[in-house]
Amino acid sequence: MSTDNRNIALSIVVAAVFIAGAIMFAGSGSNANIAGAPPANNVSVVDGKQFITINAKGGYYPRVTVAKAGLPTVLKMNTRGTFDCSAALAIPSLGYRNMLPPSGEMLIDIPPQKSGTVMRGLCAMGMYSFTVNFN
Amino acid sequence: MKKNYTFHVLGMHCNACVVLTESELGEVSEVSSVKASLEHLSVEVTGDFGDKTAEHVARDLSGVLKPHGYTLSLLRQQHHIAWGEFRVALPIAGAFIALFIILQKLGIVNLITSSEVGYGTAFLVGLIASVSTCMAVVGGLVLSMSANFAKEGDKIRPQILFHAGRLVSFLVLGGLIGALGSAFQLGATGTFVLSFIVAIVLLLLGINLLDIFPWAKKLQPTMPAFIGKRVHGLKNVNHTLTPLLVGVATFFLPCGFTQSMQIYALTTGNFLTGALVMFTFALGTLPVLALLSFSSLGIHKKAQSGIFFKTAGLVVIFFGLFNLINSLVGVGIIPPIFSF
Ligand SMILES: [Cu+2]
Repeated sequence: MSTDNRNIALSIVVAAVFIAGAIMFAGSGSNANIAGAPPANNVSVVDGKQFITINAKGGYYPRVTVAKAGLPTVLKMNTRGTFDCSAALAIPSLGYRNMLPPSGEMLIDIPPQKSGTVMRGLCAMGMYSFTVNFN
Repeated sequence: MKKNYTFHVLGMHCNACVVLTESELGEVSEVSSVKASLEHLSVEVTGDFGDKTAEHVARDLSGVLKPHGYTLSLLRQQHHIAWGEFRVALPIAGAFIALFIILQKLGIVNLITSSEVGYGTAFLVGLIASVSTCMAVVGGLVLSMSANFAKEGDKIRPQILFHAGRLVSFLVLGGLIGALGSAFQLGATGTFVLSFIVAIVLLLLGINLLDIFPWAKKLQPTMPAFIGKRVHGLKNVNHTLTPLLVGVATFFLPCGFTQSMQIYALTTGNFLTGALVMFTFALGTLPVLALLSFSSLGIHKKAQSGIFFKTAGLVVIFFGLFNLINSLVGVGIIPPIFSF
């Protein structure tokens, strides 16, 4: 049954190509699809307080943020007609878990973080995520 | 004169089958006792069949079981794995999974432009949810459940029960949320446990659909056999209650779309509005879910059924892994792998 085996091997390759193609094809364009483009500079410091803006709709944008360590921080989650999983936000390291309003902003206070801390936000089901690196 | 017979049962694969086989054969007048075994895929029958040969008895009793899709034989069927079917099943499943990934990456959720919730929005959110990541949970359950029922030769009823259970529970529970002003939401642990269980169930059902490992039949989650035995006249309890309960349970499955609709229903403070919002959302998910569940109709006896079940099995296994990884990511056990 060697022809059978070869055919199965071929179909595994075909299936893999389909899936890999889908991942590659979509990899590039995915950041552009947020309603309201990702804020160019999403970190600002006002009166010693650090503000980090993250857009949530069909994922979190920007995906990776570099922020300052040792400052009291406010995470500003923006939503605009967000009815998907990204509205169900969880930040495991803070024990934070909440539904964001469909449209509007949610302010989350974060205590000063040590340098080198990686804070991760996730949708409740775990398929969307964003990271904030404190340096 | 009473005699003992042992027959191999073709088509038996779950606890419900054991109950069904036993109760159907038990009603045959010549039979005095019957004991089926899922482990050996066999049934022991004691009875007085006159001077009929064992082959003749097997044929007669097969006639009784035929409507349920089982056949009795004296010879043990060698388990035959149709590897060749993967030739077609793999590329189809691969294309299906690729389509799923592309849809997520293209950002279908951005098709929802409205920021206010009305019934129209609720319907649209449902429609998009039904092809979106969260539906890897519900869609996976629907596909695996309906394919497994189709395998048993069960036709339209379980599918209808599932969809009815889903629509009615969304209507009623949505109304309750609206009236009470609070949602039935799970905490972090509850979400984790529930999505973990769903992932495992999907993996088991998917493996069972592949029809490679005979032992997978025993792992198939079903209503415990003793319930079926106790409840008189409900020997088909597994095929009635399971889809209905799964339909109701989808209200509580952790899915962001459902949750955001529930949050909205909660703010309405009104039974009717809450009920209608959740109901229109569920209606929006219906077309795609119905397509998934009715795709398995009538496939049972077709020659291509093996290919269909293997394709469905591969897709369901993918959804199972997807959910398993997501549930581990969700509690911070592993770093994110999928990121849409
Ligand atoms: Cu989700």
